[in-house]
Amino acid sequence: MGDHCEQTMRRLSTYIDRELSETEVKKVKAHLDDCPPCEQVFDFQAEMKRLVRKECCTDDAPTRLRAWVRQLATEKPKPAQ
Amino acid sequence: MQETYLRAYRYRNRFRPGTNEKAWLFTIMTNVFRNRLRQRPAPEDPIDQPGADFSIYEQMRREGMPVHLMSPEEIIVDRGFGGEVKRALEELPVPMRMVVVLVDVEDFSYKEVASILGIKIGTVMSRLHRGRQALQKKLWEYSGRPKAPSLAVGAR
Repeated sequence: MGDHCEQTMRRLSTYIDRELSETEVKKVKAHLDDCPPCEQVFDFQAEMKRLVRKECCTDDAPTRLRAWVRQLATEKPKPAQ
Repeated sequence: MQETYLRAYRYRNRFRPGTNEKAWLFTIMTNVFRNRLRQRPAPEDPIDQPGADFSIYEQMRREGMPVHLMSPEEIIVDRGFGGEVKRALEELPVPMRMVVVLVDVEDFSYKEVASILGIKIGTVMSRLHRGRQALQKKLWEYSGRPKAPSLAVGAR
């Protein structure tokens, strides 16, 4: 495994979570385009993240809760007590 | 959940319009959760300690599967890793589970998660890293394969 591969693997989670700076994103992207073995690891881990989201998204209550809080937040503020 | 509603209502004057209401709500929910946990003795979680890395992909490759010829879906679904993600997540130690849920399911940034849970960004990242590995290890075991190499410290 080359230096570039190691650096890319170290940044893979932060890349998948979109937590990298633009410059770093470019570097990781360039390497993934260039290196099929690293790209496959990336594809797999990104799919795992999608799967967790899909299987564990209990949208029902939180959606209502969010809507309710949003409504609270837009109500006219009451005078401070 | 009900208690979260109640508290959000009780403290609604503290919410500043224009700030992130989702993060605010999760802070409340987390506090409710934490207070509950505090009421019973906390089991010790070795969550912030380093351990051996584990990934399904790497493990299958090591066992001689042609993973490079397979799509992620083929590896996960066809090989029986996809069925019990929810159960695996529910079995993670709570601090890891919270971070994985907030990042992967609720789509918060590391910075937001750090502020919701009152921990450092570095801690968010390490718990996320270890949480995801522990999740894959559980999926590996649920699929009926022999126990994966331990994540415990010094297991390598």
